[in-house]
Amino acid sequence: MPPLVPEDFDKNVFINCPFDQEYLSLLRPLLFTILYVGFNPKIGLESSDSGETRINKICDLIRASKYSIHDLSRLQSSRRNEFYRMNMPFELGIEYGCRHFASDHLRRKRCLILEKSRHDYIKALSDLSGVDIKSHQNKPEKLIAAVRSWFIETVGLRNIESPTVMWYQFTDFTSDFYEKRKSQGFSDEDIEEMPVPEYMHFIQEWLRRQTQND
Amino acid sequence: MAKNSHHVVPAPNGGWNVKKGGAERASKHFEKKEDAVKWGQEISKNQGTEFYIHKRDGTIERKSSHGRDPRPPRDRDTHK
Repeated sequence: MPPLVPEDFDKNVFINCPFDQEYLSLLRPLLFTILYVGFNPKIGLESSDSGETRINKICDLIRASKYSIHDLSRLQSSRRNEFYRMNMPFELGIEYGCRHFASDHLRRKRCLILEKSRHDYIKALSDLSGVDIKSHQNKPEKLIAAVRSWFIETVGLRNIESPTVMWYQFTDFTSDFYEKRKSQGFSDEDIEEMPVPEYMHFIQEWLRRQTQND
Repeated sequence: MAKNSHHVVPAPNGGWNVKKGGAERASKHFEKKEDAVKWGQEISKNQGTEFYIHKRDGTIERKSSHGRDPRPPRDRDTHK
């Protein structure tokens, strides 16, 4: 009997990125872009069950997602005595292995690798030479453009708004989001530290309203 | 999206743009953020709109109410 294909497999996008405050400026537009084009971001922060190990949770998310986005821009330590960050290349390796050794629907998996500059990753991960990657220059608007291009080139989407329009939509969303959360009693700090599932919920709600207003 | 708003946002190809809320095109482009803020603030005052200044990452740095804001911010400059 063939293995069951997880529900929404073709719509799920596993996100492999750092989960620190510094990366939020890229994580937010990344989540927005994926939801904007109608896909489901799957991220390790979606649920926190202390009874499940992180690596098991990540493997489950990788298995449940046809697509994945891996941001390798923060591998290098940026401060003295800070360790090199290995989680992202490790999870990319799991993703690659999952696709490479599979004989079922997992062979259909596709991924996007993001970097700050086009050839940075080669210095640390020469196994990936020849692999097509996209750079975001640490700029949210460039990240939106890169992810949008990938959805067109690799996922096969068409008729998506221009990168500029998507960026403006994101800034419109952040204004509405700020306004509404403030009116609900959220402080600047609450907004800044909002859990990812809650943030994603607000993006979905906003996108739904936009569609209804069209 | 509240159409009665003006925004200073990072321009996709560098610099800063002033745009109306919900617009798909910028009203004007500037190299420096301070120039965009100055011009945008003037337009916003004249048209009585909410004025948002965004950070480099697109989130909100500051808001000024030039319109009839039902909930004026208590801890922010309102430029009335």
